Amino acid sequence: MTFARRWLFAVAALLLAARTAAPHHSFSAVYDDKKTIDVTGVVTQFRFVNPHALLSMDVADETGKVVKWTVEFAGRLNLSEVGWTAESIKSGERVTVTGNPAHTIPSRIAFRKLVRPDGTVLLPAGPQRLDAIEEERRERARQRSLQK
Amino acid sequence: MLPVLNGQLGLLVLIVWAWSPALSGAQSVHSQLEGMWSNPPATAIGALCGFYCTDAGIDRLNALMDDPANDARPFPQLQAQASAYQLENYIRPHLTDAALKTYPLDPADDPGLLRCEPWGLVRQMVAPHQLEIRRRGNDRIELHYGEWDARRTVYMDGRKRPANSAPSRLGFSVGRWEGETLVVETSGVAKNQTGWRSEHSDQLRVVERFARSAKGDTLLLTATIEDPWGLREPIVIKKIWAWAPRSEIAPYKNCEPVTAVKRGTNQP
Repeated sequence: MTFARRWLFAVAALLLAARTAAPHHSFSAVYDDKKTIDVTGVVTQFRFVNPHALLSMDVADETGKVVKWTVEFAGRLNLSEVGWTAESIKSGERVTVTGNPAHTIPSRIAFRKLVRPDGTVLLPAGPQRLDAIEEERRERARQRSLQK
Repeated sequence: MLPVLNGQLGLLVLIVWAWSPALSGAQSVHSQLEGMWSNPPATAIGALCGFYCTDAGIDRLNALMDDPANDARPFPQLQAQASAYQLENYIRPHLTDAALKTYPLDPADDPGLLRCEPWGLVRQMVAPHQLEIRRRGNDRIELHYGEWDARRTVYMDGRKRPANSAPSRLGFSVGRWEGETLVVETSGVAKNQTGWRSEHSDQLRVVERFARSAKGDTLLLTATIEDPWGLREPIVIKKIWAWAPRSEIAPYKNCEPVTAVKRGTNQP
């Protein structure tokens, strides 16, 4: 697989995750799925609840002033599917969150990826489901070529 | 071998024993659907039918995947194309002029988003996540959804919807078994939104057919929807869940209204 194709699939996976992240309401009315940003800060609370898990974090801006950010996740089930629990993220952890910014709230993002200082990565369920679907498509293409 | 019997008690046991194959057969048919179902299988069709899908959309997705020219395109593009196709070529042509006046509704006007107002029947019945099917006594079945923690009661005793009952969010449902398929008929649904961003009236009637796959690992819903106000003729939508006996429905108590929204995005 070429680098360009890998990149394309990675972007597609994140977009799929975007579509599955906020099932109980429209995603596009709240978040900009064409932009992603990185936010680094210290976790103050992780609530593993329905309809959306929520993370609060303190983020220092360019002047050093601490701003409260909110990260909105998929519902509990999507996260549970890939092994998340209420203990997956702990208060006091310093993390970098990648996500889609809200249209009108400057300190709110929709979760795409979380990275800890040791390199541990937490992802939503979307990309993992997508891997299985792409394998199904490859098998379908193999069968198609055998029938020729 | 027949049990050894004495007197009236023996006669009673004999009657029960004689009827038991029929009873256990009926029981096993009903229990085929009972239990917890959840997110669709991680397949292409499962992804398309995770919310709702139509035969038009399924055929389109299969055609896209069978075309070698699409092999290098990521799946979400094909899924989005099939979803758009079924909306434009199946759903939209069925909408009446009255329904088209407000179609497509702006996602920023969704009462679930603005006021945490639980969905009406047409969105709820194809909601993402769990569907738990349980018998409640001998005369009813409960459909319990993970989304909104919503519960529907399906009366299985042949009763009719009470006259003069006011329309409600999820309506009044009666059910019956057709072989191994659970058939649920619902009316008395208050005016609300559909999952395809149109409105429906309180004249809505829905017939849902729930059937387990031959392998037993998926549950297929086929729903026929009628609404003389909003639909030119009935439409048929589908949805798939996967068997998920270990899944649990979590409390749904933390919905926070979102009022900082952007209008006109015209996207789901």
